[in-house]
Amino acid sequence: MPEHLTRRGDGRLITMTGKQIKDDLELGSKDAAERAKIPELTGEDLETLYEIIIDANKVVAVKHGCEVVLSADAGGSTFWIDSGTSGLGMPIERSIAQGALSERVLGLDILQFPESDGSFKPAKVIVSYLANVIHNTLHTSISPLEFMAMPNLGYFYKPDGQWPEPISLIREGKNDEARKSMEGAARECHDAIIYVAKHLRRVGVDGINIDTVGAAGDPDFYAALTATESLKKVYPDLAVQMGMATEAVHGFHTELKYAGERLAGMWPHQQLKVAEKAGVDIFGPVINTKPHLTFPWNLSRAVTFTKACVREATIPVHPNMGMGVGGVPMLETPPLDTVTRANKAMIEIAGVDGI
Amino acid sequence: MPIGHLVAGGIGSIRTSGDLIGRMQLQKKMRLPEAKDYVAKKLGVSSIELCDEFTMRKLREKLDIGVITGLPGAAKGLEAKVRIAELLGIKINCVERLEKLSKV
Amino acid sequence: MELDKLYNAILNQDVEGAVKIAEACLKAGIEPLRALDHASEAIRQVGDLYGRSEIFLPQVVLSAEAIKKVADVLLKKVPRKKRGEKAKFIIGTVEGDIHDIGKSIVATMLEAQGFDVIDLGRDVAAEKFVEAVKKHKPAFVGCSALMTTTAIAQREVIDALKEAGVRDDVKVMVGGGATTELHAKEIGADEWGADAMDAVVKAKRLLASRTCLLKK
Repeated sequence: MPEHLTRRGDGRLITMTGKQIKDDLELGSKDAAERAKIPELTGEDLETLYEIIIDANKVVAVKHGCEVVLSADAGGSTFWIDSGTSGLGMPIERSIAQGALSERVLGLDILQFPESDGSFKPAKVIVSYLANVIHNTLHTSISPLEFMAMPNLGYFYKPDGQWPEPISLIREGKNDEARKSMEGAARECHDAIIYVAKHLRRVGVDGINIDTVGAAGDPDFYAALTATESLKKVYPDLAVQMGMATEAVHGFHTELKYAGERLAGMWPHQQLKVAEKAGVDIFGPVINTKPHLTFPWNLSRAVTFTKACVREATIPVHPNMGMGVGGVPMLETPPLDTVTRANKAMIEIAGVDGI
Repeated sequence: MPIGHLVAGGIGSIRTSGDLIGRMQLQKKMRLPEAKDYVAKKLGVSSIELCDEFTMRKLREKLDIGVITGLPGAAKGLEAKVRIAELLGIKINCVERLEKLSKV
Repeated sequence: MELDKLYNAILNQDVEGAVKIAEACLKAGIEPLRALDHASEAIRQVGDLYGRSEIFLPQVVLSAEAIKKVADVLLKKVPRKKRGEKAKFIIGTVEGDIHDIGKSIVATMLEAQGFDVIDLGRDVAAEKFVEAVKKHKPAFVGCSALMTTTAIAQREVIDALKEAGVRDDVKVMVGGGATTELHAKEIGADEWGADAMDAVVKAKRLLASRTCLLKK
């Protein structure tokens, strides 16, 4: 049986027979379906996915007319960020990277201007600086521009913040104290998001992107949802895009609800529905790549979760497809063969509105 | 990596009409087919032409809504967005701010 | 019947109930180690449910608490020489990485399975791991790293253990979102955990194969 060149979830090249690929496609889809209690991919979907994966061309692309909007996770920050192994670390002015280069070189349709640290709490401290740079970027760019940061509830707990660290409390069996701490941190985070948004709106920013939501579990998601609801009440002209951190919301508080729904344990299609109720304009589900399993398994699984999410959506869905998510391998320089295959599969099988 | 997504399935931002379609998604919650339809009607082009560099390069120049190349005298940045707000029939925050400030 | 009740009490996070049932098991003449095996099965099920996001960390902690108390009750009736020593497991998130949650879940699951866990916390420098190994003389060292940028620090811990001459005294396990089995091999770790339950299963396998010496 001929072997096809493909990869593992960590990006390494491997070869697989057609049967091995088909088996992994089925297993990946089944895994997603069983976990989230959603439909598996159809036989036709799996066949299409198989054809995309075994395509002999290194780079693949969608058919004419199927192109989607790219909001692409802080795109232009790739130029200037240097976090050790990710980012190019180039000496470049941020306004140029996030504006002109993002829309003219990277082809991004919605520009995302991230806070250097990536979180709302530190953004609060330097909001005047951010407002100035974003103001300049708005003057020189044409595409819609969002400010982007994470709720990152971890910054509101000790030693960085005032609230007791809840995981330690949970491990000591002090659930009530842990919950009070999480609720306090979520309130403070909500306020930080509103504060930053208010100041950036003054210079004319188009939207706020609340990213990596749920990284600190259900209270983190709760902070993002309540902040969205408040923003939409006060500033209806300010768009909100929300990108998640994980495929399932970790339950640390476990009793937090939004619109009557318990947030802990929500899967992408359920996260989407509460995000819609909060007023989110574009939703970004995240499906985590398992580096030790194959690219076909990971992509099939990611497409299954995302398809279920898209099917339930009334707002645009832009899955996160950066390193280690959305079927893309966990490698700082994600191989182009996998990026383009994941892109085509998400567009043509899951039916996403953007990436 | 964004270039991989652009090559495989991106609309192309101001190279074509991606900024306009993206704006309708972000500001009006339009799903992709609806956003493409809306922009195509406003521009008087087909859905395929929305992502076609040949059509859109000429059209963007004609409508003066910003082009990717350094065309002398063409609308840039905020200037282009003033015209885009009018073309799409929407409010753009920084354009609103400009109009408010310019009413001395 | 009593064994099923014990299983359910642990699965349902009923700490007090589990202790009473354990006492009832002893009264009913059930072999304590057999009862403990049943309780361990419940914890394995807890791990599976956690992996499927059907239960969450607070529930896992309560189930872990239940089995710890059940073990205290049951092991009192087992002769000391038959009890075996608890294996010490030093665990921490490597330097530069502040992600605590995954490591804490592994620590909780290990405790639930009878390991004596010493949690060094997050952002732990390699030399702190070495100090802890010298002080506590553990059977295992576990290094967690969530990010690709910090997974390289797991190698630094192993190198530091080698330099201090204590590498062969312990089994090193690594894990975290950005790690793989191949990464573990490349950096010279003894085992890799795909998730919390996998880490527990592999640690127990290492113990059972007696490749891992218990430190008295």
